[in-house]
Amino acid sequence: MKNLEELKKIRERVKRDLELRAGKHRIKIVVCLGTCGIAAGARQTMNTLVDLINSSGKTDIIVTTTGCAGFCEREPMIQVNIEDKEPVVYGKIDTEAAKEIFEKHILNGEIVEKYLFSKGK
Amino acid sequence: MKNWADHLFDIVENSIKAESTEVRIILGMNNKIFFCTISDNGIGIKDKKVIDPFVTSRKTRKVGLGIPLLKKAVEDTKGSFRITKLKKRGTKLSFETDLSHIDAKPFGDMTRALVDMIYSWPKVNIEIFVKKNNKRLLIYSGKEIKKIFNDFEIQHHEVREFIFQSLNKELNLAGINLEFGM
Repeated sequence: MKNLEELKKIRERVKRDLELRAGKHRIKIVVCLGTCGIAAGARQTMNTLVDLINSSGKTDIIVTTTGCAGFCEREPMIQVNIEDKEPVVYGKIDTEAAKEIFEKHILNGEIVEKYLFSKGK
Repeated sequence: MKNWADHLFDIVENSIKAESTEVRIILGMNNKIFFCTISDNGIGIKDKKVIDPFVTSRKTRKVGLGIPLLKKAVEDTKGSFRITKLKKRGTKLSFETDLSHIDAKPFGDMTRALVDMIYSWPKVNIEIFVKKNNKRLLIYSGKEIKKIFNDFEIQHHEVREFIFQSLNKELNLAGINLEFGM
């Protein structure tokens, strides 16, 4: 594998950058990426969220993935877990819906009713 | 699935569900014939019945579509598909598809799919090779990356972007990429 030297330089920059900012992941967004999710475009939803997190400059938000939730007709589905708050699950989240949820819920704490699938537990 | 990149992601997810700690992906393009092999060290398949959509390891439902859908997509282009148990442990799935066939799906963003795999399953050692003129070249190794970055640093967008650009360049050099549609 080439580029290992370049990677080491990047690591120095990244390390410095991370030291200046928050450490813990306070907000976790879980994207369902089972066969049904992939077919429904969940990877695009996931990548949109990753890009939004980058542009926001926040380091306390992370995106993780899980398998099929069992509600295939509602895919893509995402679960928003904010520290000390109950988890919220949204359904039919395409890239536009992901943007809306990021702005309203992730950044401003406001649940977006029209995509809401379930709250709690 | 809409494209081949999505199929690949789906198959690697099977390896993950089979508790693999190592997944090896080999990709190549030969005159518009795309070939790919995915091997893992997971719990393995019982037999070839996995190509039946009504055979699945899932308990909550009786259908597993990933493999049969890929097999059909391959056969639609008169390609070849093979899935076997590996001797020691694990499974190997390989297929070849003619991207110039009129019924071929779009290729998709393969680089993005590979990066998505790397980031969806950070604890798994993924190795990606390209094969060109019968020579195999390692273009990504999870093990090597982890020698440089810890689990938190790897999430930084600069690292992710670097991995994307590096993979994209290597795939393009090997003749594997977007000209067959997104």
